[in-house]
Order: sequence, then C-alpha cells, then structure tokens
Amino acid sequence: MSMGIPEIEDAGCLLCFGYNGADSHPIVARRIVRGRQKGMKIICADPRVTETARISDIHLQLKGGSNLALVNAMANVIWTEGLADTQFIEEHTKGYDEFLKVIEKYTPEYAEPITHIPAEEIRKAARMYATTKPAMILYGMGVCQFTQAVDVVKGLANLALMTGNFGGPSMGIGPVRGQNNVQGACDMGALPNSYPGYQNVTDPAVREKFEKAWGVPLSDKVGCPITHVPHRVLHEEDESKRIHAYYIFGEDPAQSDPDLAEVREALDKCDFVVMQDIYMNKTGLYADVILPATAWGENEGVYTCADRGFQRFRKLIEPEGDLKPDWQIIAEISTAMGYPMNYKNTEEIWDELIDLCPSFKGATYEKIEKYGCVQWPCRDKSLEDKGTPYLHKNGVFATADHKALFYGTDWHPPLELENDQYPMTLSTVREVGHYSVRTMTGNCRTLRNLEDEPGWVQMNTEDCRRMGFVKGELVKILSKRGYCITRCLPTDRVKPGATYMTYQWWIGACNELTTAKLDPISNTPEYKYCACRVEKIEDQEWAERHVMELYDDIRAQMGIDTGKGAKA
Amino acid sequence: MNYFVKGNPDLCIGCRTCMIGCVVAHEGKHIFEIDPDSYTFNPKLHMVKTAKLSVPVQCKHCENPACMAVCPVGAISRKGNAVVIDTDKCMGCKSCMDACPFGAINMVPVAGSSQADGSEKVVANKCDLCSGIPSGPACVRVCPTAALTLVTEEELDSAMEKKRQEAARTAYREMYPQK
Repeated sequence: MSMGIPEIEDAGCLLCFGYNGADSHPIVARRIVRGRQKGMKIICADPRVTETARISDIHLQLKGGSNLALVNAMANVIWTEGLADTQFIEEHTKGYDEFLKVIEKYTPEYAEPITHIPAEEIRKAARMYATTKPAMILYGMGVCQFTQAVDVVKGLANLALMTGNFGGPSMGIGPVRGQNNVQGACDMGALPNSYPGYQNVTDPAVREKFEKAWGVPLSDKVGCPITHVPHRVLHEEDESKRIHAYYIFGEDPAQSDPDLAEVREALDKCDFVVMQDIYMNKTGLYADVILPATAWGENEGVYTCADRGFQRFRKLIEPEGDLKPDWQIIAEISTAMGYPMNYKNTEEIWDELIDLCPSFKGATYEKIEKYGCVQWPCRDKSLEDKGTPYLHKNGVFATADHKALFYGTDWHPPLELENDQYPMTLSTVREVGHYSVRTMTGNCRTLRNLEDEPGWVQMNTEDCRRMGFVKGELVKILSKRGYCITRCLPTDRVKPGATYMTYQWWIGACNELTTAKLDPISNTPEYKYCACRVEKIEDQEWAERHVMELYDDIRAQMGIDTGKGAKA
Repeated sequence: MNYFVKGNPDLCIGCRTCMIGCVVAHEGKHIFEIDPDSYTFNPKLHMVKTAKLSVPVQCKHCENPACMAVCPVGAISRKGNAVVIDTDKCMGCKSCMDACPFGAINMVPVAGSSQADGSEKVVANKCDLCSGIPSGPACVRVCPTAALTLVTEEELDSAMEKKRQEAARTAYREMYPQK
C-alpha cells in the first residue's frame, strides 16, 4: 500500500474497488466506517452489496469481469471533463499522451453495456473521485483474482496519477493483501523472482551480495510460481524442469488452488511431498512427511502488515507436543541437507536479513519494539528514521528518473464465459469468521458454531425462486471441471446470474469448480470468474446424510476424533 | 425503566462478533472445554442482513412485555432493568416466541439436560442484558465498530431533551424565518 492503514479514515474520498473489508479485514473495515463518520465520501465498485457498498455515496454494482472497462471509463471522464491535475502530470509523470490514446474510446456510453452501469453513474463517480481531496483507492482480490489483474492495478494507479493523488497522507492506492503476513512473505523473498527486500534474482550485483553473505553459489534464474506447479509436475516434457519434490508450508494448495482435481493429481504424481503446518489439512492427506509447527501465540517473530508495517509478535504460551517453530524446522532441514544454520533466535535471523536489504536496514527489533510498528522503507538504524508512512513523498517515485509511468491497456473479458451448459458465473469470496483455508478457524469451536460445512452459495433471490431453491437447501453446483454440494443462500445482495462461494470448506469446496487460467504477469488465477450451473437435489435427506458422511470421512482420514465431541 | 441494546446499521459491518461475545458471556469457561457438546451455542441476538441493512436484532426489554403476559408458568419477569426468562421454570410452550413482535425469542436445547424420555430440554432463549455480569452486555463491549450501545434511562432522557430543544428551535425558525 502506498499509504498507511491508519490514514484511511482521514481520506476525503475513498474509491473501494473489488475490496470487501468487512469480510476480509474487519480491522480495516473499522477505519472505513470511522472515515464515513468523519464525512469521507465513498465510491464502492463491487458486483455485490457489501457492507462498504451499503454505506457508500455511490455503489457501482458492476458486472463481474468488467473492471478495466470501468476504470478506463472513469479516466476518460476525468480527462474529457478537464478534471485532471495537469501540473502533477507534467512534473511527475511520463506516458500520459500514449495513455490517452488507449482510454479515448472508453466513454461512459462505451463502458455501459460492458459494466452494466449507467453512463451517468460512471460520470458521477469519476467527478467525485477527481474533485474530492485527498482521494484514496483501496483494492482487494476483486481486482487481483482475474486473468486481467495487473492491468487493472495499473489502471487504478493511472486514476491516482492523473488526479495528483500521490505523495501525501490519506491518498494513493492500497492493495489490501489477501492474507495476514502475505506482505511479509513477499518482503522476505518468498517469491520466484526476488531475494528478500524485492532484490531481483537476475541482477548479478544482488546475487553476488547474497552469495558472499551466505557462502554458496546461487541460481540466476527466476523460480516457479505456485500456480505453475501442477503443470510442471504433470505435463512438463523437459525432464530437467519437471518437479519431483514439493515442500509446502503454511499453505493448503489442495484446498486453496484452482481446479482441485488437477492439484490432487499433481500431488499424487509428485514423488515427494512435505507438509509443514499447524493442523492437519487437505494437502496433508497427500504428504509423505508432515512437520508439525507451532502456531501464532506459540512462537515469535515479525509480521508485515499490508501497509508495509513491521510488527513484532510474541510467544504467549509454551507449545505442547512434538512441534517446533517454523524457523527451527527450516534450520534443522537445512543443516541436515549440508548447509548448517545455527540461529539462536529470530532476532539473529532478522539482523542478518535487514543488513542484506537496504530498504529494511533501519528496522531493528529495538526500533520496532519502541515504536510498535515501523513501515518500510526504513534505511537508517538510528531511532530518528521512523520509517515511511506513505510512499512517493512530493511526487518522487521509485523509478530511475523519479517519474511515474502511465500505462494504458484495453479491457478484455474473463476467459471462461457463461454458456448454454453453464449459464451462471461463480466468484470465490471471503466470509468473516473463517480465515483463508480454515486450518486455524475450522479448529475454533465458536467459529465453527457460527458457520460450518458445507458452507453456502450466495444466489440472487429471484434466481432461487425461479429454480425453486429455499434458504438452507443443499444444492449441487458444477463447472466443467468438477462439482460440490453446498447450501443455498438466497440474497438480494447479489445480482441475477451470479453466484458466490467462500473457498475454505472441505465439502462445499468451490475450487473444485474454479479455473486455473492465470494473469500473465502476476500468475494469479481467475478465482473471481468461471461458468457454472446450480442443480436441485431432490432427496434432501440423502444429501444431508451424504454431507455428514463426507465430513466424517475427511476428519477420519485426517486422524481427527469423530466420536462424541466431533459433531459435524 | 428497562434498558435495551440498540444497533446502528451505519456502523455495523455484519461480523457477528456480538453473537460470539454473547455465547462466551453466557457459557463462561465452558467454551474452552475440548468437547464442543459440553456447551451450547445459543446467541441471544441475531444478525439480520437485508439488501440495505446489517444490524443485530435482540430483545427490546419492553415495559409491558407481551412475552411476560402470555407465559403460562410465570417464567418471565423483570429483574433489575431487564426482562429475563427463568429457564428452570420454562416449559417450552413457545407462547412468548409467538407473542414477541420482534422475533427476539427462539427455542434452544440446554446442554447436558435430559427429560424423562432422554431427550434434551428445550427452553426459550433471549437477551437478558447480561444480567448478573458486572461488566454489562458483552455484545456492546466486543463490537469492533462500537455499533451497539446500551440505552439507559439517563441516555434516553438526554436524547429526548436534545430532541425537544431541536423541536423548539424549529418552531422558532418557523415563526421568525428572517432571524
């Protein structure tokens, strides 16, 4: 995020795009609610009536998969109505004229049939965003989980650039990351193309620095993105590129990755699978080795918040049983493989890391402890450098000539559209109470009491009436890749023809249906759009029994006590 | 006068932390027991979501409660500033549930109880304003957006006073629009 999360509530205008804070980050949603109370204008672009949409000034209830058409149309209005900040554009950016050539055709009238939003609404929203200062953009997985994702991120950045909304507090654009500490994982170099601190693996100077520090030769090749793994296991012709071993930790691809049938096949075929996690999960069922790790509260370390803020977390209780913190497991595996790691604690690891990463260098344990949170870049270890709450101060960008670059692209539709056989769309979403793949929250009794297997499919009330579904009825939902059984939730918050499911349920596993088509740059799958069909199950008694049997069966496979006390 | 908890849909984000807070307050340490059947998950308030609204709904603690009037066994009474159900007396006849115009009462099983035929006892369940819990209603305390408030007699008085003052100012403005 270019801004800090505490700055949200002081924005003049918030464009909340494909981001449902109330379900994915209640703590961030709290800032939005507070901003609203302080008079912040809200424009919410979301195909569903989310909690933010409910309290917004303008709800752009767009058709799923039309993001870039809407973003480009807003840019078109800002340009044609003379609302752009020409001084900022001239002084701090490049490529504006080329960008205008792309957005020229995206008049609101052109975008209306694509987005299903009246042209006048698009104009109103663009005017509100461009004329209310400071204006902030928050976006979530509703932008990132499409095959056209990076283009939309750049499109949103274009809006902020053309209105001069960079370089000060409570402005800019903010991806509110999908999971806790996913920012931290990226910061630490858990990406195929970078060392810690976003230092490119293909840069020889960077490689030499890490080779020297670690005393080993390192590869100069970009690694394999997680979403390419099934293909690299199953269909890779080149033997030297085929994946034979897969070490997975803190991740449950057999639940969270698209097209689960293919994922299972890959895990089955893979010669050796290691799973390191805090509880048993679906991926664990395919593992040759399971390494039990401590959970939050049983270990310590540093998390990075979505707004680049390093925060320390501490051990609260002694772990029980045969388990170790992740860093100790990794150190022991590494030592056993011939590269000894002898860290005494997490601070030793952290100190090594920050000395290798210029933008993290100043964020010592002592400083994080003192200030509670330090946002990178923080380059100096002196206590005066308190980090960087917002990026691009005074319009200075992190490019060679310090200028930001406009980047215009044309909209393209999602890759799998509705058709005769699968006439509806499916988008995967989140629900508050169950986090990510339920590895943690599925083991929390009160949260399971609130919501449990097989989960729900949200459908428009009118669609349900037409198909004869009532609330709570078990239905079968299918795509050309697979099917699952879940409960029907009729709601006026979603539009006809669209369905929504949360992705953590073992039985109602919507990733049986999703497509593994990827954004070409981010390699993120199109979780937010595939074609599906919902079918009635006539024998509801059988369906209820069947769901219970499936649940008991999975729990038994995982070695979970299914006797009294394991009420499904 | 009876108090009640009021939800503000402009602040509510529909997260249902209030429902969990309610269960934890009424079940106490039971929720930490390994066996999930050893406690009951019976929130005394319910999240309602329509196309335009999200807000929890719970008992209004009426001054002349319809539920109390219809209860054939005298299980419902006023206690302090709340209307409460004596679940030991309750026979589960559902009259109160039927009488309540707000849908604030539901019927729930009592964990660990058993009747003559071995089945669980089922009783009426509704908000008791966390009667007997010194820190007050748990839902108000746990709400992350402070969308819930306990409305007391003093608060109602001061709110009414403000409304009267506004009404007086409006009357004045109507009489002397130029001033």
